[in-house]
Amino acid sequence: MNKWIYLLLFSITTTIAFSQQTVSGTVVDDANLPIPGVNISIKGTTQGTVTNFDGEFTLNNVSLNDIIVFSYVSFETQEVKFTGQQTIDVQLKVSAEALEEVVVIGYGSSSKRKLTGSVSTIDSESIQDLDPLNAASALQGTTAGVNVTPNSGAPGAESNIRIRGISTNGNSAPLIIVDGFQYDGGLNSLNPQDIESITVLKDAQAAIYGSVGANGVVLIETKSGERNQKAVVTYNTYVGLQETSRELPLLNSNEYALLLNESYANAGLNQPFSNISAIENDTDWQDEVFETAEIISHNISVAGGSENTDYSMSASHLDQEGIVGADKSSFKRTTVKLSINTDVRDFLNLKANVFHTNNRSKGINSFGLGSVLFNAINMAPTISRDRDNLDGTIDLGNEVVNPLTQLANTFNDFESNRLSGSFQAELEYIDDFKLTARYGFNSSKLNNREFFPEFNFGTSKVFTRDENQVNLNQQDFYDYTFDLFHTIDKTIADEHDVTLTLGMTVFRTHGEGLFGSRTGVPNNSFDFADLGTATGAGDDQTNGSFVSEARRLSYFGRVEYAYKDRYLLSGILRRDTSSRFGPNNQTAWFPSVTTGWIISEEEFFDTGDWFNFAKLRASYGELGNDRIPDFLFLSLLSGEAEAVLGQDQNLTNGQALGPLSNPNIKWETSKKLDVGLDLRFFNSDLDVTIDYFSNEREDLLITNIPVSGIFGTSAPGSSAPTINAGTVENKGVEVALNYSKEVSKNFSFNVGYNISTIDNEVTEVNGTEFIEGGAFSVGQLPPSRMQEGEPIGFFYGLQTDGIFQTQAEVDAHPSQGSLGAEAQPGDLRFVDTNNDGVINEDDRTNIGDPIPDITMGFNLSFRYKNFDFSAYSFANLGQEIVRNFERDQPNVNVLRKRLDRWTGPGTSNTEPRVTAGANTNRIFSDYFVEDGDFLRIQTISVGYFFPESILKSIGASSLKLYAKVDNAFTFTEYSGFDPTASTGAPIGGGIDLGFYPVPRTYTLGLNVKF
Amino acid sequence: MKMKTYKIYLSLFITTLLVSCSDDFVQEEPPFQVTSGSFFQSETDFNNALIGAYDLTQATYVNVILGEIASDNTHAGGESATDVVGWQQVDRMEHTPINDNIDDVWDFNFAGVQRAAFIIENQDNIDFDGKAQIIAEARFLRAYFNFELVKWFGPIPIKPEGQFQLGEELSIPRSPVEEVYAFIEDDLQLAIADLAPQAPQVGRASKAAAQALLGKVFLYQDKFDLSAQQLQVVIDSGQFHLFGTQAGEDFLNLFEFSAENGPESVFEVQYSGDQGAGFECLQCSEGNVAVGFSGVRGYNGPVYESGFGFNLPTQETVDAFADNDLRKELSILDIEAWAADTGATFTIGNQDPVTGHTGFYNKKYLPRENDNLPDANLTHPNNYRAIRYADVLLMAAEAYNRGGINDDLARQYLNQVRQRAGLQPVNSSGADLLNNIYNDRRLELMGEGHRFFDLVRTDRASQFIDGFEAPKNNVFPIPLEEIQFSQGNWEQNLGY
Repeated sequence: MNKWIYLLLFSITTTIAFSQQTVSGTVVDDANLPIPGVNISIKGTTQGTVTNFDGEFTLNNVSLNDIIVFSYVSFETQEVKFTGQQTIDVQLKVSAEALEEVVVIGYGSSSKRKLTGSVSTIDSESIQDLDPLNAASALQGTTAGVNVTPNSGAPGAESNIRIRGISTNGNSAPLIIVDGFQYDGGLNSLNPQDIESITVLKDAQAAIYGSVGANGVVLIETKSGERNQKAVVTYNTYVGLQETSRELPLLNSNEYALLLNESYANAGLNQPFSNISAIENDTDWQDEVFETAEIISHNISVAGGSENTDYSMSASHLDQEGIVGADKSSFKRTTVKLSINTDVRDFLNLKANVFHTNNRSKGINSFGLGSVLFNAINMAPTISRDRDNLDGTIDLGNEVVNPLTQLANTFNDFESNRLSGSFQAELEYIDDFKLTARYGFNSSKLNNREFFPEFNFGTSKVFTRDENQVNLNQQDFYDYTFDLFHTIDKTIADEHDVTLTLGMTVFRTHGEGLFGSRTGVPNNSFDFADLGTATGAGDDQTNGSFVSEARRLSYFGRVEYAYKDRYLLSGILRRDTSSRFGPNNQTAWFPSVTTGWIISEEEFFDTGDWFNFAKLRASYGELGNDRIPDFLFLSLLSGEAEAVLGQDQNLTNGQALGPLSNPNIKWETSKKLDVGLDLRFFNSDLDVTIDYFSNEREDLLITNIPVSGIFGTSAPGSSAPTINAGTVENKGVEVALNYSKEVSKNFSFNVGYNISTIDNEVTEVNGTEFIEGGAFSVGQLPPSRMQEGEPIGFFYGLQTDGIFQTQAEVDAHPSQGSLGAEAQPGDLRFVDTNNDGVINEDDRTNIGDPIPDITMGFNLSFRYKNFDFSAYSFANLGQEIVRNFERDQPNVNVLRKRLDRWTGPGTSNTEPRVTAGANTNRIFSDYFVEDGDFLRIQTISVGYFFPESILKSIGASSLKLYAKVDNAFTFTEYSGFDPTASTGAPIGGGIDLGFYPVPRTYTLGLNVKF
Repeated sequence: MKMKTYKIYLSLFITTLLVSCSDDFVQEEPPFQVTSGSFFQSETDFNNALIGAYDLTQATYVNVILGEIASDNTHAGGESATDVVGWQQVDRMEHTPINDNIDDVWDFNFAGVQRAAFIIENQDNIDFDGKAQIIAEARFLRAYFNFELVKWFGPIPIKPEGQFQLGEELSIPRSPVEEVYAFIEDDLQLAIADLAPQAPQVGRASKAAAQALLGKVFLYQDKFDLSAQQLQVVIDSGQFHLFGTQAGEDFLNLFEFSAENGPESVFEVQYSGDQGAGFECLQCSEGNVAVGFSGVRGYNGPVYESGFGFNLPTQETVDAFADNDLRKELSILDIEAWAADTGATFTIGNQDPVTGHTGFYNKKYLPRENDNLPDANLTHPNNYRAIRYADVLLMAAEAYNRGGINDDLARQYLNQVRQRAGLQPVNSSGADLLNNIYNDRRLELMGEGHRFFDLVRTDRASQFIDGFEAPKNNVFPIPLEEIQFSQGNWEQNLGY
């Protein structure tokens, strides 16, 4: 229909286009504040311009009766007919409903106003304010119900994203969809500055993703150009300095020697330091390993468009060094992105996106027993920093070595090259009937080279090698997602809006890997560390490979229906078949229903300007999770079978069964319920969203579920089966508030706050009473469990009740002898929780869990004249963390709090005595479980926009200089480096082995636009 | 209008094209993988599966070192009184059903049973020359692992026809010890019938190995006639002699690499240092994990390599040797004296009076200098002499004496072993001879993991082991998780 109007206008304009003129003016908003960046175009032409910083514009070659269109995001588009005016001043109105903001919901989009699911969105502005290294961190604190924990503070480390709690002991990571296709690359392979918006689908709305949507879906849209816009060139750069956010308070040489002497004396043994004044060294190992490290980023992008085509391209480079090991722990990321969107005909649109990422990183041993920081914490301060071989120094056990020597002997190089992209065609074959075909792909190649030099760290140290070795590892992955779907969008009788989406998706992923290792690298040097140059023969060369393959075929349909713009109903049905599941269970159906009622559309709702909008939402649906290894329903001869046979004692390879199979395996099902309320007050300045949710995850795919030893699962290369054997429930409430106000031309601000609660409970574990995981210290029972009635991954250990002050107290208490040693005064007193008169492993109980009960985010930003300021913070409350960075060995260094140890009756009821003798104080108990609550000021940034006068002189349209501090401060009582420490493991997470802390970063940056 | 029709047809065409993609798309076979359904189709498959079963003999290191610690021979040792806490608890006789290290014994040996059973249950798949030998070896191995299990745990679940299947932990009971022994005897008798007198390869079971094991199995049941009969066959085979009794042999080298698979070896578990290993899977190591764990802590000096300082002979053990007994030199390393002689240095770990440092190390299985791959503590190549000829002679002597069959033969076999150790022959008979046999059995097999079970089967454990309570401690507790997995099908051993 529009075409006729165009045609009409066209004929009119051509007939009377004899005089072309120039018009100028100013565009302002409701508050008469100028709006920079407003698009101004002459309807039906490619002619146009953009307002400057003061909202002013000049438009040339205007003809009489031209329609001039003024458009700007979240304002109502206005059209003015040119009748020969010299100036046109326009006041744009905030679009009647800024709620009309478009939100992607998977295989389509919806207006925020009509959205019936629970969805959070982060726009490019927040992403720009936060300017994160990894896009995942933009979600932390900004979205209710989303918890992001870094794997490590090491450069290039990935983050774990958890939406509405942990609901499986398998893979809890959400599905990531970039521009419509499944993206499995990890978010640190995306350039955050390419991201336009991040949308999180938290409830049954995600059911359109069927068997892969149960963990929630993160939809990322990348930036694109705008139509009728001349090329805008943006250049962003920053340099930063990173430092550790904390050093642990440890003992110095003197204190160390005195305390060690006392611990030996307490055990009736000879004191190791007979002459304390003769100790030469006082090495602060943390000072030695932590450094100030640089970070530099460049990003350039160009975006623009003509009438029928828009495009955007960008390139970026990031170079980050680590605060431990500097260039031994570094991350370099180079990205290139190109996207183009064109209307080939008025009924056919084509869109293509290509991303390339090159990541290069080097890493140090940064998590676990034997990590550099673990060594820096446990190393004796009496040893000189230059002591590479610890023979002849005090015995620190076989794992603790000089961390500096360890760094010097760390050699590796990891490189990944990734090409991802999508190609999409959209055909409008009848008015309002569209067919979309989209092919998305990820191709990645990972190369890893490691070299372990021959080096003597000391006799029987686990790091000592009398032969060097090079390991090479190359992996290739390719996957594609092919979507084909119809979208039918009809309004019937003005009152019935119907959108129907019907389609299918095909997904295939294929991976191959090759591994090899060889000893005998020439000159014991990384420079020659290659399989070809090394000389090791026979068994000194090894190789291996793998091939993986998984496929999925899905059909889906979605109906969205709105009656009178206020009664909303949407239903989704998806059918999935997956190669991950056996023939008995290959197919499943995933239904969902979401509904909404826009109360504020009702006539009785007449509350004036103070209460503008109210919508009630409810949704229920079933989703699946298929994130398990391939072919678990088959018994494969993939076990290890090696025996030494023959006169020459050669290793001979055979074949054996691999992991125990489970022919009946199927997907996990998540039943998601959500009831929510969206409210807007005070001219829509205050935005309130409240949700109650309940997710019940059934048929949990429990990998490696313990089974009886008679099935031979402890054999080399075998493992326990994966069984659908549990149910986990997450319930909670989310509230998000946002208030933004433009007070005057010079001052505007925005305040956001969100809070969510999580109540996690395992309601069923089949086949076994509990599943254990994690590790504490060395040789101890697994500290984490999944068990009915408890939160998943709770800590299971002994409960303490102070310290035995006297032998009489010891005698009065049940014996602790079966733990390994009889108690003495000064030892921890454990609670006989089962009242059987003896303290043993059976007295273990729930002593905390790593899942935060409450997560919060608080964000503030304001703009005053040419300055802007923003601060982002978040807090986790009600989480516990296990201190596991202290080596259980009598001679290692310890935290300063040990100086307050028990030394006699009444001296301490919290810190046990020191002793080198047998004791049970190191057995996993609540002594090691700490309050992990924290509040982190994540980002504080101040920016200055240069005034027009300067911009003109350099020909720029915008220039901003800013200073930013990331990870500025953390309020916590936790004694380790970082309370966010977690492997993210559902069972065994929250156990801190000397976590590489997330650095504090001071940044100076520049954004310029031409 | 024409255009519109064309578009509709195009869209319909594209749609039908892809909707025709059927569920076959996901019927994918694992690429380049062998599934159990396509296995046992060739002789190679059977050979390969047999290698898989032999693999698990390497995991029996855990039986050896923990068996020794459980006896009165050694202290647990280690870094501290809580290092490898399960071993410390066994040493203190404070072990409970929650003990990871006892659990290892259960898991590793059942893994061996299961791998041998995988072959046996597929024995009728195809026919080829030499199949009988392979099935016989599988039966020998299944008997070997089951014998370990019955020694440690008493009644155990058994399934003669093949592998245990998921769910059978709820239905297959723990068979009484007699039935388990009958099953082991069956396997061994069938094995003996088909095994070649000479093993096809060094490291595999010969007929004599199965006969010696059967003799031992009979002896454990006090079936002295049958035991003596089997052991006598081994002795009469003439395949073996005591190392050090012929030219070019030095008894003191018996546990050196040079004497591995020598004339005294009846069955020997083979190890290699040619492949690295890690703590996350000790049973996966191709090396003898017990050796690194037995090494001198922080050792720096000639001949030996360092280790973790477990399994430390006590002063009482050392004093049990006569001064002129060559086996003292063979079995014990006095670290103070050695350090004084050679300038070697070492450190001391666990100093607990009950489980800690003694100054002595188990010399037979100390790590010798070698170029094994990391983690070097886990990959020492020292073979474990599982059944050696001296053991056969001593078992035969015991069977002849205790069965009241022939004291002369008993004395003769005992004296062969004594003479090799540089000792005078004994002239005793009856109960005195038995005491001599018991005493020499302890000294001859010191550090080899037999003592605890010898004491138990002869009802002498409570005499020698502090804190030992019979009958409770005659067997070890069933791991608690196993009781739970069986949901009441298996009951805990008495007293635990």
